[in-house]
Amino acid sequence: MDDKTNALREHVKGIFSNLELVLGWEPGYDPLHTRPFYVRTESDIDRLTANCLSFQNLTRYLAKSMNAVDPAADGRKIGVCVKGCDSRSLVALIQEKFVSRDRVYVIGLPCRGTLDARRIRALVPDPARIRSVNAEGDELVVETDRGISRFALDRAIARKCLQCRYPNPVIHDVLIGDPVTPRLKIDAENPSVAAVEALSLEDRLLFWENQLDRCIRCFACRNACPLCVCQNHCIMETRMPKWITQYRNMNEKFMFHMIHALHLAGRCTECGECERVCPVGIPVALIKEKINAIIYEMLDYESGIDPEAVPPLLTFSPKETGI
Amino acid sequence: MSGKIFVAHDALSGLLDDLSKKFKVWIPQMMDQASGHIAFGVYAPGKKPELTRRSRLSPKKILFPSMDTLFKFTYVKDPKDPVRYTIDLKESFDNGPTLVFGARPCDTRGFQTFDQVFLKGQYKDVYYERRRQNTLFATLVCQDSDTACFCSSVGSGPADMTGSDMAVIPIEGGYVIEGLTDAGRKLVETSGSAPSPEQAAAAEQMKRNTAALKIGEDDLTGYADDLTRRFTDMDFWREQVSPCITCGVCTWVCPTCYCFSITDEASGMSGERMRSWDSCMFYLYTLEARGHNPRPTKMERYRNRVGHKFSYFPKKYDGMVSCCGCGRCIRTCPVSIDIRKVVKELKETADDRA
Repeated sequence: MDDKTNALREHVKGIFSNLELVLGWEPGYDPLHTRPFYVRTESDIDRLTANCLSFQNLTRYLAKSMNAVDPAADGRKIGVCVKGCDSRSLVALIQEKFVSRDRVYVIGLPCRGTLDARRIRALVPDPARIRSVNAEGDELVVETDRGISRFALDRAIARKCLQCRYPNPVIHDVLIGDPVTPRLKIDAENPSVAAVEALSLEDRLLFWENQLDRCIRCFACRNACPLCVCQNHCIMETRMPKWITQYRNMNEKFMFHMIHALHLAGRCTECGECERVCPVGIPVALIKEKINAIIYEMLDYESGIDPEAVPPLLTFSPKETGI
Repeated sequence: MSGKIFVAHDALSGLLDDLSKKFKVWIPQMMDQASGHIAFGVYAPGKKPELTRRSRLSPKKILFPSMDTLFKFTYVKDPKDPVRYTIDLKESFDNGPTLVFGARPCDTRGFQTFDQVFLKGQYKDVYYERRRQNTLFATLVCQDSDTACFCSSVGSGPADMTGSDMAVIPIEGGYVIEGLTDAGRKLVETSGSAPSPEQAAAAEQMKRNTAALKIGEDDLTGYADDLTRRFTDMDFWREQVSPCITCGVCTWVCPTCYCFSITDEASGMSGERMRSWDSCMFYLYTLEARGHNPRPTKMERYRNRVGHKFSYFPKKYDGMVSCCGCGRCIRTCPVSIDIRKVVKELKETADDRA
């Protein structure tokens, strides 16, 4: 995302009296990190940022950390900043009645991609001490203690952004900045899924075994996901019935990731948070992208586009086609 | 002999090959090139230690495995009276001679916390104790801190060799390895040839220079009472913890988090009693049998994490903070919560924050 910090602050200042709080981002502990930020008072507004480091999908807080369904007594709304991908999660949450459309004020931010901190660390000669990170046009400029590195933005942005089809928020009450051109057409094939599918069955199994073997069961992927809404009732943690043992072996890891993905079938909006937060770098979003491709092919449905639509796996239609 | 050897870069594999005949040798290694994931793994000829970049996961699992079989059990039915049965128990230990090569001072120092809890109290944890006694640490004098590192803030430093048996000191062309304990010296002396006087001097210089470095701006010890004072200030905790997604990353990557769960993993008539890592960031961690949860939200849970490390632990163990300053929780947190900032702000008054 191009830097929209000033425009965002200006806008929020103008409407803040009508809002209970605003979910946004603020700078993190170093120039490569950003953290979600709850703007609760007027004086907080100048801490807000919106740029290529605005990674986190803030809609998860609407579903999991607050009541975004019932109207406030004073009628004030919850402001939430969304990128294109985040806005789709919001739509899915509205469909599933975790969020009321009337309860939220949606600040849409067209986005050309967010950075992948791991890629940047691999690209710059001195990743330990990064002083500043700035996107200038199609170039990323990273300043470290040893000097300035410049490289194409595309080499530094997240995998999900390279195949982005919805860079512009699909719902919003205000749009900050001009809409941007999607990288891929709506019905384009997912290139990451295609790359894994090109492998032989044996190699594909090996690929996933190598990847999932690293899982440490921290559940960051689950907890960052805006649509993993079971919270403290997840099958990974319930003891009665005990679906999953405490073994850290492939069976249990595989089981967890498959259940996670299947529970998101027709719901996952490909915001990529599960993959970004994984501390051991497993491309977990790929599993969900494959399932989404199947849903699109069989049921002609794409999640998180139309707040009025009913996700196909949350309903039953005798006229269902494609199966 | 001087208790020191010099190992050239191209001789390191040979040294590890030799050591791996006597020890199970753990080294930091690249686990996945695409994501740059570095973690500790068992050395095998051909594997390359990753000594110039920090590992994402700590070596905690070497002495405290994420799943550890305490014993195995089998129910044996009495053939004459099948209602009666006896239980056959088998102890389970996995603790051959082990060497951790290339951990950083913070990694090795993390086990000091474990020692207090698992070895020095009224009860000893025999599983931990056996592994501890059988494990040697060859610790790297650390050259490359990043923006999340803060070992000097918790009473340590990049050349702190507390708990190490050997120091691995990078110099031009290779490493000087210096024995620090009897066991470490004995191993060093049988593993190679002494450094030249110039190499020995370079190593001394490197150690001195590194020891003089201050990694982390503030002193984060001495906050025990500030936490107590702040305990019921829920506005403070709300402000600090709002972004938290209550995953367990910070506790899983932490070299000093030692909480565990014990479960019976059984199938049919036999099974194992297993100890596995648990995390105070999870709802289930404090959920009581009748349904009450004393730490129902992330505020209470995160407060406990900070309190444990910077207040309750030092109060119980002579002022020792149970944080080694490795910065892993900061680096891996999906929402960049910075424990240094939280601790520091414990001291500030409400006026300072306004």
